[in-house]
Amino acid sequence: MDENRYANELLFRMEQLLYHELSGCAPWKTELTGIDFIQSQNIAGTNENEIVSACIKRIKAAGLVEDITFSIGCNDILLRLEIRGCRHMLKETLLRQSGIKPYNCLAANMILDQLIEKLGYATTYVADLALEETEGKCVVKAAIYATPEKIGAVSEWPND
Amino acid sequence: MQDILEVISSRKSIRRYKPDPVPDELLDKILEAARWAPTGENYQPWRFIVVRDQETRNKIGDLAKMGSGARMTAWHCMGHTQERFAGIADPVKRERVLRFMYTGEVSEFAKQSPVVIAVIGTLMEGSVDVPYDLSAAIENMLLEAHALGLGGCWVHGPVASTRDAKKFKEILGIPTGMGQYKVIAYVSIGWAAEARKYPRPKKSLDEMVYWEQFGQKERPRHG
Repeated sequence: MDENRYANELLFRMEQLLYHELSGCAPWKTELTGIDFIQSQNIAGTNENEIVSACIKRIKAAGLVEDITFSIGCNDILLRLEIRGCRHMLKETLLRQSGIKPYNCLAANMILDQLIEKLGYATTYVADLALEETEGKCVVKAAIYATPEKIGAVSEWPND
Repeated sequence: MQDILEVISSRKSIRRYKPDPVPDELLDKILEAARWAPTGENYQPWRFIVVRDQETRNKIGDLAKMGSGARMTAWHCMGHTQERFAGIADPVKRERVLRFMYTGEVSEFAKQSPVVIAVIGTLMEGSVDVPYDLSAAIENMLLEAHALGLGGCWVHGPVASTRDAKKFKEILGIPTGMGQYKVIAYVSIGWAAEARKYPRPKKSLDEMVYWEQFGQKERPRHG
């Protein structure tokens, strides 16, 4: 039995159903998916670069992805993640094939959770999840707000 | 039986309120209207928490502002909100509206509305229709408020994300277990301090009604 395929097919059906029930706010409801793993990993760090790097190290060590690169910019509220070789790529492909734009990145959920849990970030929001299947990667754009005052610090985010 | 289409079609979402209190007898009528909403198998899963306390409303307002602002700041940075409001010709007015959105101030008004009613549903009594029943109750409240001369607004923002919904429950002392109560929205109630355009622009029936089969726009003759 292909356990990875089995797990992704289960997740695909759940996310397909959630989108059907909740429409565009489904992503807002799934932000805790994946956090149990990262919360068990004793992530430590004193700033966002250290926390994100520590999360990536543990996510890679667990074999969930081959690699994640990241950058933080645009008034320090844009966290851009480029995720390659993700174990959950199949889930995203199945969603896309069913006519639903993928919306729930587990690796991003993990990293955002630790910014909140370990650094006390006020809130976060996944603004975009772009699937690039031919290159075997996803690009996530997430807004990260260290404090409530960072909300409203608008700028023009670059298009990929 | 009176036709209530005029009440329905003249209702507007009100986000600016006078500080004047809402009398108990009017509030009771609004809650009574909710009680009579349609509900699957008569389960009546709804529960209502009426909040007048300023400090509590401030917390709800702050939560709503942060939730909406977090999303709308990102949408603005992605260019989405600018597209949505491109129809506002006056650039000064457009910028004012955009700022109102991306700062989250659009959702902060629980602080000003004299009454906030949190609408939650029990998930522990077997109802299979909780979100739908609660939505029907909210609509009844809004229509009754409007018929009484009050303004109201249905606000999903502070409970839209899973984390924010938990914070909202904590503010009001609602059990936070995911299998206990679903918080679907709050309704703000008060005397309107704004006169919104009436009638609001709406799609025509031609754009949304099909006859007999999906996609069939031509109305069949009958009788």
